Amino acid sequence: MSTPFIRFAGLRKHFVMGRETVRAIDSIDLTIDQHTFSAVVGPSGSGKSTLLYLLGGLDRPTAGSIEVGGQNLDQLDENDLARYRRRMVGFIFQSFNLIASMTALENVAFPMRFARRVRRERNQRALELLRLVGLANRAYHRPIELSGGQQQRVAIARALVNDPQLILADEPTGNLDTHSGAAIIQLLSDLHAQGRTVVMVTHDPRLSRFATNTIRLVDGRVVSEADYEQALAIDAARAAD
Amino acid sequence: MRVSDLIALILENLGRRKARVALTAVGVVIGTAAVVLLVSLGVGLQRSATQQLGGIGDLTRIDVYPVYGEPGGGGGIVVMEGPGGVPGIQQPINDQTLEQFAAMPGVTAVIARDWVNGGMMLNYGRLEGYGSIMGLGTDNAADLGVTAEAGTLTLSKGTAVIGAMVPQQFFDPRVRPGQEPPPPPDLLGQTLKATLIKYSTDGVEIRKMVQVRVVGVMAESRGEADWSIYMPLSDVTAYNEWFLGKRINRQKDGYANAVVKVGDVDQVLDVADQINELGFQASTPQSFVQGINSFFIVLQVVFGGVGAIALLVAAIGIANTMAMAILERTREIGLMKAVGATNRDVLSVFLGEAAGIGFIGGLGGVALGWSAGQIINVLALAYLAGQSAQSGAPPPTEAVFTPVWLPIFSLVFATLIGVISGLYPALRAATLVPVNALKYE
Repeated sequence: MSTPFIRFAGLRKHFVMGRETVRAIDSIDLTIDQHTFSAVVGPSGSGKSTLLYLLGGLDRPTAGSIEVGGQNLDQLDENDLARYRRRMVGFIFQSFNLIASMTALENVAFPMRFARRVRRERNQRALELLRLVGLANRAYHRPIELSGGQQQRVAIARALVNDPQLILADEPTGNLDTHSGAAIIQLLSDLHAQGRTVVMVTHDPRLSRFATNTIRLVDGRVVSEADYEQALAIDAARAAD
Repeated sequence: MRVSDLIALILENLGRRKARVALTAVGVVIGTAAVVLLVSLGVGLQRSATQQLGGIGDLTRIDVYPVYGEPGGGGGIVVMEGPGGVPGIQQPINDQTLEQFAAMPGVTAVIARDWVNGGMMLNYGRLEGYGSIMGLGTDNAADLGVTAEAGTLTLSKGTAVIGAMVPQQFFDPRVRPGQEPPPPPDLLGQTLKATLIKYSTDGVEIRKMVQVRVVGVMAESRGEADWSIYMPLSDVTAYNEWFLGKRINRQKDGYANAVVKVGDVDQVLDVADQINELGFQASTPQSFVQGINSFFIVLQVVFGGVGAIALLVAAIGIANTMAMAILERTREIGLMKAVGATNRDVLSVFLGEAAGIGFIGGLGGVALGWSAGQIINVLALAYLAGQSAQSGAPPPTEAVFTPVWLPIFSLVFATLIGVISGLYPALRAATLVPVNALKYE
């Protein structure tokens, strides 16, 4: 039995919105093994993205702890958390978040500026990754000159540039057509096959078949498959009414 | 993040918002140009005034006089009868005091002087003339800082060195109204007849004739020397003793005046203060120059303040631009943090951009202010040259002067204004919670 790579213990994240407290994550205890491909699924507002951002060190929990590769994120200060994001995590966003004024090559190389790598090394590595995602011929194109699928592939190359162990993808196919989405999922599967741990948030349950395990969230809690199906049925019934 | 990468990123970011950066920098350009131009104008006016004053008097010279009148709180000072029987001198300038002056740090020469204390008429052929006749306690008038236009400045018994304007004081008393007066005589090498005149107690005029040979003519200095006739002190002492009818005791009566020369202009005021503290009256053009300098420093501060107000307005522009940039680039800030930028990295990038706007504006402002100063120089000098010709003063060489430190200071100041203006927006950017920044719409 392998040692858990990721461990959530008593995790809570509450947001105060006016007089109301929204319990985005409401007590999650969960482990994820290394070299797995996890799909986090659930209806809108179930806390999927919040869980991903907490795991990525982009936000701090209200209570509980998150441990990644033996590192307790609660105990890291802002600088250590930035170092964790730089070295350990690669983010892929639904809306790509490419910098419009930069070429594909510059976008991919961008995170390496904060890793104090020299320009030649940055460009070499970025070109290598663009080749990996099939966009070497688009290296000097700006995002506006690329299709949605190509932009997301550039974003994937950027996520890999610092060679992270953990890939966090937030609805990576959400803004793509079916064909482009399939290509992106294939890329993520390849990354998993190469030994990386992938956590993907998706609202599309069909994509969970590519994952090695599925985490189902409802109202900020992890639920069983049966409970999850029941929650979806309730949601569907409400929508029909 | 490497410094080179930081600078490259700042330049890239500024480069992608060229129009906005340029418009914001225009405010800094105007403010910096105002500072450079106005302070340069203040410095130029100060230099011009100092130059004019330098023409009026020797700035390394201190004229020392005894203090006349009742001693005001100067306990221990004895009121004595002065030279020529002038009463009321608090303390005489005698050989001991001359030695005290000479021992002061920075003093290069001390020259005792005395005036002819009676009527003295000069004759050269048919011409009569008068002048300020003064005995010098040195055998070389050059010790006073004057230069020779012709002849020598070395004095010996029965000789004199005259000022450049002295020949113009000679006139023909027999010229009738409407007749052309004779031109000023060339007195160099000529022997003048000097008539000393005094009156006995019963009103009878007594005359004494002496001869004075002019051995040198001093170059025009626009000062006291131009109208003076310098002779050896021993000759003038002999004349004065004849006027008084008794021997002069320099130890008791002292000299009428002493000239103290100081090697370094910067030490003149210190030496003058020390002489004043000894109970004498020291006057120097330098104290006037200092007063003028103080005035011009105030003027420069006021001028600089006017420019600084323009820079302050520009600072608000920079702060506004940076605040807008941070709103527009909130998601980019979120991305920077997501890919590993520290708060310090984000702070450095945005502070650097604000400093960059200040620096670019400062560069433009220095160039504009300096250029405007050169244009004003050309226009003003043409006007001032005409004014100087009328007043006889030397023409100014520049109206606006930009000292080397001013562009450097202005550039640093403009950059600093940028940094200060960008501080709050940059701090806001640096402390954004990454997830909130990424979700910002």
